Amino acid sequence: MEGALSDETLLVGVAERDIGAFRALYQRHAGWLALRLARRCNDRDLVADAVQDTFVAVWQKPRGFRGDGDIAAWLWGIAIRRLVSRLRSRTDVAAVFESTATTPAAEDQVLLSVEYGDIGAALARLSPEMRAVIQAVVLDGLSAKEAGQLLHVPVSSVKTRLYRAKAQLRATLAEGLS
Amino acid sequence: MTGWHVDDATLRHYVERTDSVAEGASVERHLLTCAQCRARVNTAATAVDSTMVDLAAVWDRTRDTVEVPRPLVFERLLRAAGLPAHEARLVAVASAFRGVWLVGVAAVLAFAAVAAMIGHARGLWFFLAVAPVAPCLVVAFSYDRRWDPALEPEMVTPYPAIRLILLRTIAVLALALPAVLLLGLFVPGEVPFAWLLPAVGFVAVVLAASTWVSPLNAAMAVSTVWLLIVWRLAALSATPAAVLQPRTQVAFLMLAAASFGLFLVRRRHLRQLRPWR
Repeated sequence: MEGALSDETLLVGVAERDIGAFRALYQRHAGWLALRLARRCNDRDLVADAVQDTFVAVWQKPRGFRGDGDIAAWLWGIAIRRLVSRLRSRTDVAAVFESTATTPAAEDQVLLSVEYGDIGAALARLSPEMRAVIQAVVLDGLSAKEAGQLLHVPVSSVKTRLYRAKAQLRATLAEGLS
Repeated sequence: MTGWHVDDATLRHYVERTDSVAEGASVERHLLTCAQCRARVNTAATAVDSTMVDLAAVWDRTRDTVEVPRPLVFERLLRAAGLPAHEARLVAVASAFRGVWLVGVAAVLAFAAVAAMIGHARGLWFFLAVAPVAPCLVVAFSYDRRWDPALEPEMVTPYPAIRLILLRTIAVLALALPAVLLLGLFVPGEVPFAWLLPAVGFVAVVLAASTWVSPLNAAMAVSTVWLLIVWRLAALSATPAAVLQPRTQVAFLMLAAASFGLFLVRRRHLRQLRPWR
């Protein structure tokens, strides 16, 4: 079975134009990539397009992976940028960064503070706009420009919000410590 | 890595998107480095069809995309210029764009330019004879059915022949005219764009004539006539500049306009492009 092959081996196969290896790579990664992208964009067709773009890009330039880090991280880097580029041409769809559970249940809240300290609570207290910027820049590793394209806001706003969000997080966490 | 893995409840929250910001961020960070949890999320994501995209359909589209040979450089240029994909393909499949012809034409033009640079008047005559007819020959090749077997299926499809021919002509001119212009820069003593109007004029004549005869025959006739004229002028020991003076240029412009008008009027007679029965 191909399941035993590592991502690196599959990528070598893709570079040698092996459609079977490509398919295995797709089956292993398309699901979680699509799921993660769908958490940032409500439009299912756009997510599907971004997943397709990602794997077409992998097929065309399998040697774009320089061997540093995990192939999954490399794939995610491609995928989120493809989504940004798809979103750029669509002004009617904006990215979403929100979980459906805006107020976690009491027991979850307790669990959170146990597992993550006060960071979870601090993040939850941010305004949605600031949280979106934090997620795009800090968690997804986008540049301020790319984050602006994803969220349909100017780069300057991204920078301002990021600055304010960090300040607020710092203040909230310091408050919790004292 | 650390032996820590996403527990089942957190994973379910993540997949169902009922998690909090910090939880989601934590899971996502972990997924990038943990193949084991990634596989679990992947399986869950593939199973939950209602909230997900149709991954099988996306795979089909992805495979179709990568299995189609990548379009030629020229075709991609045409698409970048705003031409729809199917038209870019139609224009680019012409034999004239298969490289060989263009290289040949470029070689002839370069040879002529070199001759003009080093060979004084005689070389200049040679350039004058070759440069203006080169584009119309390439245009003729680009839609003469003897040289383009692909034209046959194209022409039985309900697609306006005139549109195809004009698109191809424009594409050829976009390639050939800059070449002529560039090489003209190396020919001493003359304005580089002086060669352009004769070239455009001859292309228009070939287009018009192709409503009667095959484009290649038309192009060869035009070339022959032009060569005879140049040869005659050279024999009369007129200077090459005589061909390039403003009055002659205006004449070429009128020739181009008239021929193009004729082509448009007679476009229903593009019989060389009809399927042969």
